[in-house]
Amino acid sequence: MALTNSLTHDILNSLGEGVFTVDKNFRITFLNQAAEKITGLQKEEVLGKFCKHVFSSDRCTDACPIVKVLETGKNLFEQEATILHKNGHRLKIRLNASILHNHETRAPLGGIISFREISSLEEMVRNIERTAHFYGVVGHSKAMREIFQLIEEVSDSDASVFIQGESGTGKEMIADAIQKTSLRKDKPYIKVNCSVFPDQLLASELFGHVKGAFTGAIKDRIGRFEMANHGTLFLDEVAEMPLHTQIQLLRVLQEGTFERVGESITRRTDVRIIAATNHNIEEAIETGKFREDLYYRLNVIPIEIPPLRERPEDIPFLIEHFLNKFSTTYKKDIHEIEDAAMELLLCYSWPGNIRELENAIEYAFARCKENIIRLPLLPPKIRKEAHRFPAPLPSTHEPLQESEYIRLRRVLEKHQWNRSRAAQELGMGRTTLWRKLKAYGLVNPRKEEK
Amino acid sequence: MFEMLGNQFFLVRNYPRAAVMLEKALLRDPQNKLIRRKLIICYTQIGEVQKAFDIFLSLIKEDVDFIINTDPVDDDCPCPELVYNMESRIPENLSSLDFHLVAGMLWLYCDLHRSIEFFRSAHELAPSNPRIKAALAILENRSRKSSPSSEKMQ
Repeated sequence: MALTNSLTHDILNSLGEGVFTVDKNFRITFLNQAAEKITGLQKEEVLGKFCKHVFSSDRCTDACPIVKVLETGKNLFEQEATILHKNGHRLKIRLNASILHNHETRAPLGGIISFREISSLEEMVRNIERTAHFYGVVGHSKAMREIFQLIEEVSDSDASVFIQGESGTGKEMIADAIQKTSLRKDKPYIKVNCSVFPDQLLASELFGHVKGAFTGAIKDRIGRFEMANHGTLFLDEVAEMPLHTQIQLLRVLQEGTFERVGESITRRTDVRIIAATNHNIEEAIETGKFREDLYYRLNVIPIEIPPLRERPEDIPFLIEHFLNKFSTTYKKDIHEIEDAAMELLLCYSWPGNIRELENAIEYAFARCKENIIRLPLLPPKIRKEAHRFPAPLPSTHEPLQESEYIRLRRVLEKHQWNRSRAAQELGMGRTTLWRKLKAYGLVNPRKEEK
Repeated sequence: MFEMLGNQFFLVRNYPRAAVMLEKALLRDPQNKLIRRKLIICYTQIGEVQKAFDIFLSLIKEDVDFIINTDPVDDDCPCPELVYNMESRIPENLSSLDFHLVAGMLWLYCDLHRSIEFFRSAHELAPSNPRIKAALAILENRSRKSSPSSEKMQ
């Protein structure tokens, strides 16, 4: 059964896929050059040997592809398997299998397997996933990928980071990602929300106090700066910090020193600061609520997280992420969302950003009795307002496969909701357009408001 | 197709499925010695001792060297391992006679003299069995003819 035809050899050797053939005893009769390259084996060392002994595939014992083809009479395609590389490492491959027949009697003479390595392909997929799920932060949009890239670029820096973004955009998660990628990732990571402490207590929380420093200070207590020594301190809602505490914070940033409240001993600390706010910090500076010098100390590496309405391409990824999350939490197997529901979520403006999206998915999840989220399960507020106040279509986001809903809306808005002109541009009749508008529940928002 | 399937099941030591396929293949090609040589082993492993012995006797009558010349490595013959396992722990489902028959058959793939020893024991256990007597005669005859250097694993 040996392949002696030199043309056949040339053809098989020209392929990028690995190919080997076996006779009816499952001895290897041919191995092409790509297979040699993938497996590290030389043809001369494997010819005549049993394929099971050479490749030690996980499929040999129970699911030999050639046996499957023999049993079913159908060729196999794109089956995953592992084989052994000459160096002892397991390779993940995807293979196709078929039978070699005697042309006259149609009796099987052997089998042929073609395969390609997918280990490196999977590595590539993992890299893509890593950028879409950056240390727990889900984002596929250009803006988010730029943020992830920036975080990686500054990972070996101790410079302060200042994160700005609307409420619910995931500032704390970005801070977490910065800490996880930093040189201080194995050191203490302390978080303080500056808005939750009364003015007089925030300084004590940050710098600590001694017994008797103020009413209620019944014993010495170290502050967050001491706890975070050699590590990272995340100051959330930093714009809420009272001015006198801002001065103390500025000193820590400039000199690395502070005193506990009620004590005169100067202490030294080595802490990296990540600060965040959802306020317009420039406005806070102008109105004197935030010190400009502190801002410049904190704002060495500025990060601005765009609101969700400006990056709708992240919404499907976030939805998928939350579906997976709640499937585990609620022990439900819901990993799908119907198109109409997705369309609605895509055109809602998300004033509460990712937090609001998460709540919406959790709401639908709690109500869902099937294995798919359908439109009526979404929160009434979103169902009502998505059509009335649709999110403006971003002009800067990367091109996506435009859905029909979005395309209809874009063209209608372009023509000020003139259906005749819109229908003409869309290449459909007015009746068809009307039917589609009805099906999608698309109405002119200006008319609705009236 | 049956032979090829039988070969693969034999290769992965799935003796019950190999036996089914090789039986079907043998129906189409009753004189195929390769199939018969494998089927003997399969039958011994699924407790079909008499079926194994039937084929064994017919094959050694026809060509005793076909079994003797089996190469444990090149032919991927499992017999060295099988006889080792059998002798370390005698299978409970086999009678004493069947045990000696199975051991005698399997040893022929590896060592003629050990095979003869087991067939002699089997003959002592069933002196009136003409088929055992015939098999023993063939093996002893073959042993007398062979020079020590032509035999394996001695």
